[in-house]
Amino acid sequence: MAVDFEPRIVGFLCNWCSYAGADMAGTARICYPSNIRIIRVPCSARIDPLLVVKAFQLGADGVLVAGCHPGDCHYTEGNYYSRRRFAMLHPFLEYLGIERERFWLQWVSASEGKKFSQVVSTFTDGLIKLGPRKAVTVQ
Amino acid sequence: MSAAMDQTAQIRQKARELLENKVVDCVIGYERATDGVNARPLFVYEPEEADRLIFDQTCTHNLTRYLLNRKGKPTAIVVKPCDSRAINLLLNESQLQREKIHIIGVVCPGVVERQWRQASAKLLNACQVCQQHVPVIYDVLVGELPSEPTVAEHYPDVVEMEAKSAEERQVFWKEQFSRCIRCYACRQACPGCYCPECFAERLDPLWVGIRIAPGENEVWNTIRAFHLAGRCIGCYQCEQVCPVDIPLSLLNRKLEKEVLGLFNFQAGMDAETSPPFSTFKKEEKLGIGE
Amino acid sequence: MSQFISKQHLLSWLGQLMENRHLVAPARVDGLILFKEVGRVEDIVFDYENTTLSPKEWFFPKTETLFYVERKDGKVELLPPEIEKETVIFGIRPCDARGITILDLPYLADPADTFYRQHREKTAMVGLSCLTACPECFCESMGSGPQDTAGLDIMLTEVKDGYLVEILTEKGKSLLSEGLLSTADLPKPKAPKTAAVPSEGVVQKMRQAFDSAYWSRVADRCIHCNVCAYVCPTCYCFDVRDYTDKGRTERVRSWESCQSPGFTKIAGGHDPRANKGARMRQRFGHKLLYFPEQFGPLHCVGCGRCVRSCPVNIDIREIIEDVQKMGAPK
Repeated sequence: MAVDFEPRIVGFLCNWCSYAGADMAGTARICYPSNIRIIRVPCSARIDPLLVVKAFQLGADGVLVAGCHPGDCHYTEGNYYSRRRFAMLHPFLEYLGIERERFWLQWVSASEGKKFSQVVSTFTDGLIKLGPRKAVTVQ
Repeated sequence: MSAAMDQTAQIRQKARELLENKVVDCVIGYERATDGVNARPLFVYEPEEADRLIFDQTCTHNLTRYLLNRKGKPTAIVVKPCDSRAINLLLNESQLQREKIHIIGVVCPGVVERQWRQASAKLLNACQVCQQHVPVIYDVLVGELPSEPTVAEHYPDVVEMEAKSAEERQVFWKEQFSRCIRCYACRQACPGCYCPECFAERLDPLWVGIRIAPGENEVWNTIRAFHLAGRCIGCYQCEQVCPVDIPLSLLNRKLEKEVLGLFNFQAGMDAETSPPFSTFKKEEKLGIGE
Repeated sequence: MSQFISKQHLLSWLGQLMENRHLVAPARVDGLILFKEVGRVEDIVFDYENTTLSPKEWFFPKTETLFYVERKDGKVELLPPEIEKETVIFGIRPCDARGITILDLPYLADPADTFYRQHREKTAMVGLSCLTACPECFCESMGSGPQDTAGLDIMLTEVKDGYLVEILTEKGKSLLSEGLLSTADLPKPKAPKTAAVPSEGVVQKMRQAFDSAYWSRVADRCIHCNVCAYVCPTCYCFDVRDYTDKGRTERVRSWESCQSPGFTKIAGGHDPRANKGARMRQRFGHKLLYFPEQFGPLHCVGCGRCVRSCPVNIDIREIIEDVQKMGAPK
């Protein structure tokens, strides 16, 4: 079953590092799975947990949030806030029944095109292994 | 219930004094509800009305929410230990002026589940594991410390939920949320939910639609709880007021547990320490993004 | 002599109804009794006082699609939502059935609400009269009663080993075949007594109470959630919104309540009912003054749900008493 499954991933990438990192992967002709749909945001701290929850509600199989490495934030400290926020959201999503593997926070700098490709590949592989999100219907 | 009688008498006397001396122009406390068993909030404006006030184990409401409607007006309020933490939270978040509120703290052995018609004997889940029997902030304290504060495992229900499989948890919560009628009583009763415009009512962009349906109910309940991460003071009014009995405290307590583990923080214990999401440490390791 | 159906026949009849209709009946959901579509007779609860939520959602759903708009081949098409198959609601209490007849007044008045009318036409109501009354029931003071048959198609009254049957409408007749019935010489059990609330003349008193400071005092403790309106069998306000997704738009309406802080907010941010007291007065004004003035009956059937569910004990019985006690305005 896993062979045909193409997970849908929503990627929220910070404009200054991770989005540029994805760009770098492109210009350097490094492949990464096309399962990810990228949404560019000003900073990883812009990602309201609501956006992540909403993405899952609308059927995403996985959500990736990527931003500058700690210390490198364009706005000095945005990613420190997002680190705390997502460190809390992650176990909370798990508690609600969304497996750990479906949500990732990663630091990808503008020069890390290779890392970006690796992150997306590993994330996608993990999701393929996990399979689609089970549709639970309730009355 | 002699301790309760005593507390009631003391609260009445204090309220009368405060109103007579014009220290405050309103005292927020409890009175008997129309079923003759439970308690309900009461706003006392005149000294002669002070005798309507009561305090006993049926006084479940967290009244601090009402202070937000009386910003800037001198007000006295009866608070239990958990409620008192909400005052600290609101002070920390600049929602209240300390000098405008007069806090009548009550020593609390725990309150009972609200049951319509007959007095309940069962302590609230939250009270069964509560370690805080004296308010953390008060101007006057009413009552004496109970002799044996008992505490076992603080999060037995959360641990039990964590032990289930992801699928079981998903099914459980979907079923619970599908019952939600989006009356927003959980939000309206919560002292921490005071945004002038709730994300659930933003029309542009429309984050959570108006559909009272499983998907949107799920987003609503998830984010409502998450907005209280590190801010929930554990009064669990949300669960108390839910007309369809969704176990909301099970969500809030999970977050409470995580906050305690990750940041060693409990909301509202003092007015100075900011909740974990409004601050950070550069070198901390939180087990994510590493 | 009255008509009688044995418990066993009743169960098999309910089983038959399920085959080609939605059967909605009181069922246990965690600790609650709620009206639910049931797939098995065993899931139906017979010994309940009343459900936590009223059955109005089967006529006026929590959320309902009004229509879809689709762009196809350069043309815009308006598509009505699918029409449901027939529904039978079993186990409605008399107060709730009367509640539906009250919903009829605004929704079936010309021009009738298409969706409400469709639900109403396709739904039959089988009532179960009350043998006991809750302390917060006051149906008799609101023109109903434990054996009131208003709005019902069939009324059942529990007696030993079965139920007395009153078939009240043609719809009811077509549902329940004579073959299952027998005759019995059993008296109808005595109706329980419900609390008396002085509702007489309350409309006039409410008119006088409009400017009273009373409303803001009551509103002090109101937390302005929507519980009262959502558990109420007669509240009928809704909000409308469009959802657009890839060339298809859906117009949806969902329950809304006059107690919610943004209910009357208008473009530009003004809210004519911005303060708590005004919102509180609106709720009881609508129930006890505006609705009766426009349609006749009080907008309350005395089911007691709001009394039970209100987190802060805003009790309509107490409000009526207080309003009755008010003197004429100076």
